[in-house]
Amino acid sequence: MDVFIQLVVSGIALGMIYALIAFGYQLTFATSGTLNFGQGEALMLGALVGLTLVGHMSYWLMLPLVLAFGALQGVVVERVGVRPAIKTKSEFGWIMTTISLAIIFKNVAENIWGHDDIPFPSPLPTEPLQFFGIHILPMEIMVVVGALALMLAVEIFNRKSIYGKAVVATSNDRDAAGLMGINTSMVITFSYALSSMTAAFAGVLVAPLTLTGATMGVSLGLKAFAVAIIGGLNSGLGVIVGGLILGIAETTTGYYVSTGYKDVPGLVLLLLVLSIKPAGIFGKSVIKKV
Amino acid sequence: MLQIQNLHAGYGKVEVLHDISFSVPKGQVVSLIGSNGAGKTTTMRAISGMLKPSSGCITLNGKAIAGLPSNRIAQAGLAHSPEGRRVFSTLSVTDNLLLGAFPRLTFGREKGDVQGDLARVFELFPRLKEREHQLAGTLSGGEQQMLAMGRALMLNPDVLLLDEPSMGLAPLLVKEVFRIIGELKSRGITMLLVEQFAAAALEVADYAYVLENGRISVHGPAEQLRNDPAVKAAYLGAAH
Repeated sequence: MDVFIQLVVSGIALGMIYALIAFGYQLTFATSGTLNFGQGEALMLGALVGLTLVGHMSYWLMLPLVLAFGALQGVVVERVGVRPAIKTKSEFGWIMTTISLAIIFKNVAENIWGHDDIPFPSPLPTEPLQFFGIHILPMEIMVVVGALALMLAVEIFNRKSIYGKAVVATSNDRDAAGLMGINTSMVITFSYALSSMTAAFAGVLVAPLTLTGATMGVSLGLKAFAVAIIGGLNSGLGVIVGGLILGIAETTTGYYVSTGYKDVPGLVLLLLVLSIKPAGIFGKSVIKKV
Repeated sequence: MLQIQNLHAGYGKVEVLHDISFSVPKGQVVSLIGSNGAGKTTTMRAISGMLKPSSGCITLNGKAIAGLPSNRIAQAGLAHSPEGRRVFSTLSVTDNLLLGAFPRLTFGREKGDVQGDLARVFELFPRLKEREHQLAGTLSGGEQQMLAMGRALMLNPDVLLLDEPSMGLAPLLVKEVFRIIGELKSRGITMLLVEQFAAAALEVADYAYVLENGRISVHGPAEQLRNDPAVKAAYLGAAH
């Protein structure tokens, strides 16, 4: 039983990382109906830039710089890859452009930081804390708190500030938002900046627990996408629950079955959700009025 | 105030508006009437920037606005209450109204007294006040229409475009909508009104243009059109 609880705790930390990346997918989908398939690479770049910076300064000073870098990277993806597709009303162009940009970012990272995985110094003690016989790494607590704090901050911004309401209005009805004097292209750029910033933040949160490297984002980005589909692309609660399910399924399967099969339950769940409730467990299916 | 000259617009290769010219003088209510598909809504969309005109000139207070994105046109002082209401369904009634004042709250337009205007909109539409915290998507059709009109008023616009404000409403509510349009008129608000209820539109309007297949076929003071036998036969029918 203790082992099981231990696995659940580790699964929660992993799951919150998935949830955070999945949250990033939702941000751009809400405003523009497009997704950045380079979310994993945004995470990887955030982690590697963080790694380089952390050699010159403390982890806490590095955080805001990585967040700024992530936001800038998101702006580049939107301007170069997504805006032309939106402008020409290309329905699928953004899929190819965001994937292409992701591959380019991965290659660039490989050339700068090499092919090997590098350990990331932990800002918090690496000695696990003991709670009733359960070991918890301080960094795991920070992952959960950090992920929840960022999602909460975005939610408060959306609910309380007029700019946040403009973002919600754009998600509701882009044309009508334009009539209100809202610059909706700017809102979409902003959502990409926020989305990549979220991924970069996830990168520097997860890096001390795993290893950093140019390929670290590939499976994280993909699994977070599964989480976004399982939870629903328009439900904040959905990505948290979806992330936790996937994270816990992974750690428990890895222990009780085989680490070789740890990705299977999550992906089977994805297939089940798609066949039974395609809008996601918490997703609201949108009825388009014509 | 608002001038449209030689406007051409359409969707893709299909031209819907062929050389439309008209003007909306300050403080007046001008109505566009015509049958379905005549181009009334397309005209409205081309003016407010929801649709990019293919050619022509549109000026608002002497400023050329044709081809600008809709957010810039709103900043310039043109509010458009669109066909189908288009309220922000997951936001509260108050938030919808505040978004109507977005340029005023974000330095895009002179701020003035936003809270005072909000109170005045609630005074004009007491039903909205009762439901101020409710999500717009849960309102009835009539309430949503009032919200769309109130939201447009929150810009404190120089010109207000109202597209089919009575669409899909019960007869009693249609009456209420026209009462409010009359009230706005008495406050001196410049309006361009598109309506399927031509008779009611001609009651409230000062001047009217009849659109037919994307062209203006007849125009004149509203009173004159009310008595025009051809207009009577085509648009005023027996029902009104």
